[in-house]
Amino acid sequence: MHQDADELATQELTARLSLIENMIAEGRQKTESWGWTFVLWGAAYMAAIVFANVGAPWNEWTTWGHRPLAWPVTMMSALILMYAYIGLSSGKRAKQPETTIGRAIWSMWAAMGISMMIFFVAAGISGRLDQHIYIAVIGAMLGTTNFASSLILKWRAQLFNALVWWTAAVAACFGSVTQSLVVFLIAIFFGQIVFGIYGMISERRLIERSSGAVHA
Amino acid sequence: MPEAETEVAAELPELNPVIHGKLRLALLSLLSTVEEAEFTWLRAKTSSTDGNLGAQLLKLEEAGYVAVEKKFVLRKPQTLYRMTASGRRALTEYVQALKRLLGSAIDT
Repeated sequence: MHQDADELATQELTARLSLIENMIAEGRQKTESWGWTFVLWGAAYMAAIVFANVGAPWNEWTTWGHRPLAWPVTMMSALILMYAYIGLSSGKRAKQPETTIGRAIWSMWAAMGISMMIFFVAAGISGRLDQHIYIAVIGAMLGTTNFASSLILKWRAQLFNALVWWTAAVAACFGSVTQSLVVFLIAIFFGQIVFGIYGMISERRLIERSSGAVHA
Repeated sequence: MPEAETEVAAELPELNPVIHGKLRLALLSLLSTVEEAEFTWLRAKTSSTDGNLGAQLLKLEEAGYVAVEKKFVLRKPQTLYRMTASGRRALTEYVQALKRLLGSAIDT
């Protein structure tokens, strides 16, 4: 009888400890909800390439193609689309609270976006940008941000993603303009589309695993 | 109770009753991971009812473990909760006490 009571008390204490662990994991469940943004930006990069090259023969396709406005227009459209979706979805569910880790991740991606924008606009206007450097800079910046993010989140899959982009950055410096486009397309596919879908699946799994009521 | 057992029991820490409640413990654990959180987010994460959640948060507030801020955003009322330094200390002490109790349960 005494032993049963002790066992019950131990079970109760263990349940409390696992409740703390579960709730901490629940509170930290944030980053993977951005999986869709990887897919969105990957699709935007691909759309910009298609938009820039439409009408040209396949063997003449390049990253910039024949329409100089294709990239800036598509990137701005993707940015507006992303914020519109964030605005719409945040209205439907409880607002995610801010965390130090969340702010660190967000700051890195925002800084990377601003750096890319000012650099590419300035380099494009001044005419000091070629298509190899364009892909190499995108690859290096995405590699850096993914790497830093993977260390903060301790997320191995994102570390692999950083390697994809860094490899693309190096490979883009060699070969022809068309070959560098092929490298870019491969990196977009694995680094944005595949990784983004993986992130979305992980997020869904986490939500399914962690749904449960807690009563006083 | 034998003398040895009495001694062990005397050495064992007591669990803070304010934190020990399941929902209050869940709330403090959640709040320990964020800077501040809305009532609706806490409700979604704990799947609790408005009344129960409000009552438990009030107990934590009265104990000085959480701080509340009420404001209006786009004319909608918003209630934000954040863990205080004393709440964080209390949760840490609670976890330590819990681990000691579990340790002693395994030893006996």
